[in-house]
Amino acid sequence: MISRRRLLILAAGSAAAAFAGVSPIAGSPEGISKDPNIPRWAMLVDVDKCTECVKELIRKTGDPHVKPPCVVACDVFNNVPEFEDKKKDPQWMRIAKFTLDKETVEPEEFYMPLLCNHCEHPACAQVCPTKATFQRPDGIVMIDTHRCIGCRYCMIACPYGARSFNFEDPREGLKHINPEVPTRARGVVEKCTFCVQIVDEAMERGENPEPACVKACRLYSKNALVFGNVKDPNSEISKLMRTGYVIQLRPGVGTDPYVFYKFINEKP
Amino acid sequence: MAIEFKKINGDSAGYFAVVLVFAAVVAIGVLSYLANHFGSAPDDMSQRVPWGIVNGAIPYYIGLSAGSLILSALAGVFNIKKYKVFSRMAAFLAIAWIVVAILSIVMDIGKPLHLGGATLYFNLTSIFSWNAFLYSSYFVVCAIYLIAMFEDKQTATRILAGVAVFWAVMVHSGTGAIYGFIYSRELYHSALLAPLFIICATSSGLGLLMATIYLTFKYTGRKLDPDLVRSLSKVFLGLILILAYFLVVEMFEKSYMPGLQKATHFVFLNPSQSIFWCFWLLLIVGIGVPAFIVAYPRTGRDLRWLGIGGIIHAAMIYAERFYLIVPGEAFPREYLPGYAMTSLNTLEGSIVSYTPTPIEWAQVIGLFAIGYLIFLIGLKVFAILPEEATEEVTKEVVEE
Repeated sequence: MISRRRLLILAAGSAAAAFAGVSPIAGSPEGISKDPNIPRWAMLVDVDKCTECVKELIRKTGDPHVKPPCVVACDVFNNVPEFEDKKKDPQWMRIAKFTLDKETVEPEEFYMPLLCNHCEHPACAQVCPTKATFQRPDGIVMIDTHRCIGCRYCMIACPYGARSFNFEDPREGLKHINPEVPTRARGVVEKCTFCVQIVDEAMERGENPEPACVKACRLYSKNALVFGNVKDPNSEISKLMRTGYVIQLRPGVGTDPYVFYKFINEKP
Repeated sequence: MAIEFKKINGDSAGYFAVVLVFAAVVAIGVLSYLANHFGSAPDDMSQRVPWGIVNGAIPYYIGLSAGSLILSALAGVFNIKKYKVFSRMAAFLAIAWIVVAILSIVMDIGKPLHLGGATLYFNLTSIFSWNAFLYSSYFVVCAIYLIAMFEDKQTATRILAGVAVFWAVMVHSGTGAIYGFIYSRELYHSALLAPLFIICATSSGLGLLMATIYLTFKYTGRKLDPDLVRSLSKVFLGLILILAYFLVVEMFEKSYMPGLQKATHFVFLNPSQSIFWCFWLLLIVGIGVPAFIVAYPRTGRDLRWLGIGGIIHAAMIYAERFYLIVPGEAFPREYLPGYAMTSLNTLEGSIVSYTPTPIEWAQVIGLFAIGYLIFLIGLKVFAILPEEATEEVTKEVVEE
């Protein structure tokens, strides 16, 4: 029989060996590129136009939970599943209604989409224990779902609730599968990628990329979403950002989000 | 005469019956885990509350481990020789609990087979990454410390006891920081969490240890000097009062900020929410009652009562984990400060309820049973239990 001393030394030794496999820093994060030739992707939301679209849709359909074209396009392109149980249903793009918290003035509500903000200092990548969440040089925050261990720390850390966990196998909640975008497994986290497949393809062809939600909004609704490179002062997004008052969500936490919301369209 | 440690025979029907009971509870836990992760047995976690009670098991069991270890090492570090009789047992329990804590990480994450990635790809800015390093190394430190004790290496034991205490403090600060450093959730964000975790780790570890010591000595027919446990209970009393102080400071600090008033009202003053009960029952039943048991002479001298007090406290520390983890998730965050928000397609903007299902409880309790199963087997395999823990034995040690 194995002696007590041997057993313990064996146990400690194997644990030490497992732990010796830890390399202090495996690869360095790519991080945002300072190279002016590499774009910095961002999205601008025209809150007035967005509100107009959603109000109209709710009036027409009578459904307060209606999904506007942008959300539908996002779901379809990115294989975002649909589950009945809202507690478990993953959602990349969400429409939210905002009302000033002053009931007596009977404030007017407005609507805006919420999605991954592809922050300059993403809290999710900061906390990810395996670097499964990382930042591309063009600012897009991605998840390597093969590396993701499903600890959901990123969901806790994200200030914008942008991330969803696959409690169920997402493929069970899909009617059609878009072969352009990989489906995800049960037990990992997913979120908006700014339609990275579209972005990369457009870049190869030398065109301006247009993510699924932006395209749907332009074709079927009010053209409230603009996507583009904010490093280029002549891009459409940069021009539009100059013509009004633009805010970020929760700037106080310092993540520096790159989805911008524009409230006033005309400069006085 | 040195303290003599001896294995138990472990051939009585009672021993096997207890082992079988714990093994059955473990089996139920494992089955629940499988049904939950690979089948469709429901948990009540959601996109808004992605960390439930199985996640709470991680800090809870690490707490029990750190608590046991700090106690075991007290004899070495502060030279309190009379506790030396318990130091092997407590160190062994510390190892058992850290194994359980690592198992609870495995049970909580969505892709357990990818867990190795947490050690392969180290993210310098992730506290979880640091903890993967701290937990595994902590296990090694505990094991070496126990070996040093088995081999009766006095100096090495003392040095290792110091290292082990330092490591336990690091491990538990790291665990507190997992939650406390989350700046995007006001109810999490607190520098107090790291020290608070250490206090409640020590108090819950010690509480459970008092009960374990009493029961183990009783059912193995060994002599136990009640004064030893009584003096431990004084340490326990001090710790739980410090814990109450931390909790109350945290409550007032959070409530002081007008911007957090709705959230603190939801946590502390809304009896329709389980969080309200977790907090107040923790203060009253989890701290008040055990404090009374220790302080009141009639119960404070009775080891059975002390054991009950310890168990009540250790159990209510689970409520504390719930109170620390869940409200920060369930209470909606303000994406656009000053504006009320409702989401069209998700539950964002409203309070999302979380009621753990029996499937989740079975996993947590199964993990607990693993800890005691390891302990029970350890009693038979290793000499961790002293022949007797009486005044004479400890006096001789002190005189040596």
